Amino acid sequence: MNGNATADISVPSAWEEALVRGDPGTIKQLYALHFPPVKRFVRQNSGTGEDARDVFQEAITVLWLKARDGILRKDTEPGAFLFRVSKNKWLDRIRSAAHRTMTVVPVDHNPAPGNGGSEELEERIQRLKEVYDRMDGKCRTVLGRFYFQREDLATIADNLGVTEESIRTIKYRCMMKLRAFRKHLAGDEKGTER
Amino acid sequence: MSKEALGQSRFEAVEAYLLGTMSAADRTSFELELGADGELQTEVQLQRENMLAVEMGGMRQTLGAIMAEDRERSSVTWPHYLKYAAAAAVLLIGALWWLTRPSLNERLYAEYHQADPGLPVPMSATRDPEFQDAMVAYKMGQYKEASSKWGKILAAAPGNDTLAYYIASAHLSAGDAAGAIPLFKIVGNSPSSVFRDKANWYLFLSYLHEGRFAEMRAMRLDQDSTYGERAAGILGKIGK
Repeated sequence: MNGNATADISVPSAWEEALVRGDPGTIKQLYALHFPPVKRFVRQNSGTGEDARDVFQEAITVLWLKARDGILRKDTEPGAFLFRVSKNKWLDRIRSAAHRTMTVVPVDHNPAPGNGGSEELEERIQRLKEVYDRMDGKCRTVLGRFYFQREDLATIADNLGVTEESIRTIKYRCMMKLRAFRKHLAGDEKGTER
Repeated sequence: MSKEALGQSRFEAVEAYLLGTMSAADRTSFELELGADGELQTEVQLQRENMLAVEMGGMRQTLGAIMAEDRERSSVTWPHYLKYAAAAAVLLIGALWWLTRPSLNERLYAEYHQADPGLPVPMSATRDPEFQDAMVAYKMGQYKEASSKWGKILAAAPGNDTLAYYIASAHLSAGDAAGAIPLFKIVGNSPSSVFRDKANWYLFLSYLHEGRFAEMRAMRLDQDSTYGERAAGILGKIGK
């Protein structure tokens, strides 16, 4: 992606830059190296492989957003971070489900101040997901290629067999739909505050 | 937050600022304006978050694809004794396939049907963005979205053969041959339409999809200079 090579994730900060630009090779390495302990932990605590994937995906999203915002501590070790956030998320889930069917295995909840998923960060991730979920397939394709894969308009247009001007217009209209949705959300929040 | 619409050039200026593609001079002037304009600050913040939502969604999709690959791989690493069960399952699937295999017309349709690739550039008579928008959806395989958008334009311009042809193509590509047939018939019967020959070929294939062999034969498409050879091949296989 973006013409850059996959990072050696054992090199401090190299993985961080590659993760921010969404390099698939780096994401794959992070998953291959750090998912197995998360899966083991979740399975030992009443969960399934799918549960483990769910919390791991949430944990990597927290890691990505912190890295993207440039607020990740310089000495962050991705494996330890992902395990800690995944573990805390899974423990939160089984605690909230304890009144229903699951058996809670007592394990220490271990939040690390300033390096996990704060409530504010969780809410922001939730909002970003809602915005992304609002988009139809066409907007996801065009905006994803432009803002995430950083392809230029000519490449996208050529690939989809339409004019560059069409892609430019679609991009603008898709972003205006997201803007309108955000305004709607902001209106709801104001309404709730009253 | 401003309730007013944001013009395209203004939007692109904010975008260039956030992507870092603005010239140094433009950036300096933009930042001066940004420092004094609260609404612009809100707009920049809003657009930054929306771009971030797209990036985050892309990253999550990338991880989702990696996980799906892993899920698939781990589901096939079975214990040794299950290999016998797998072999039995393969035999059972084979038998089921034989019993439920596609019929002759379905196989021939799959062999001969290739979706119309769509128009590379908008036609002058239908330059409006809705048409282009639907064409992009069509090219991306989102046939229902494309036919719904074109359908609205056709309601305002009945008789437009381009729209009728592409709506029919979208129906057929979505597997709705019955819905495509009336529209292909209209275009195929319009002597002045540039889509006439293609419409007749796809009408022939729509009949094939539906197993309406008598109507296929009645079209006499095997005499056509462009599609005759293919039509004759199909008619030969279904028994002329």
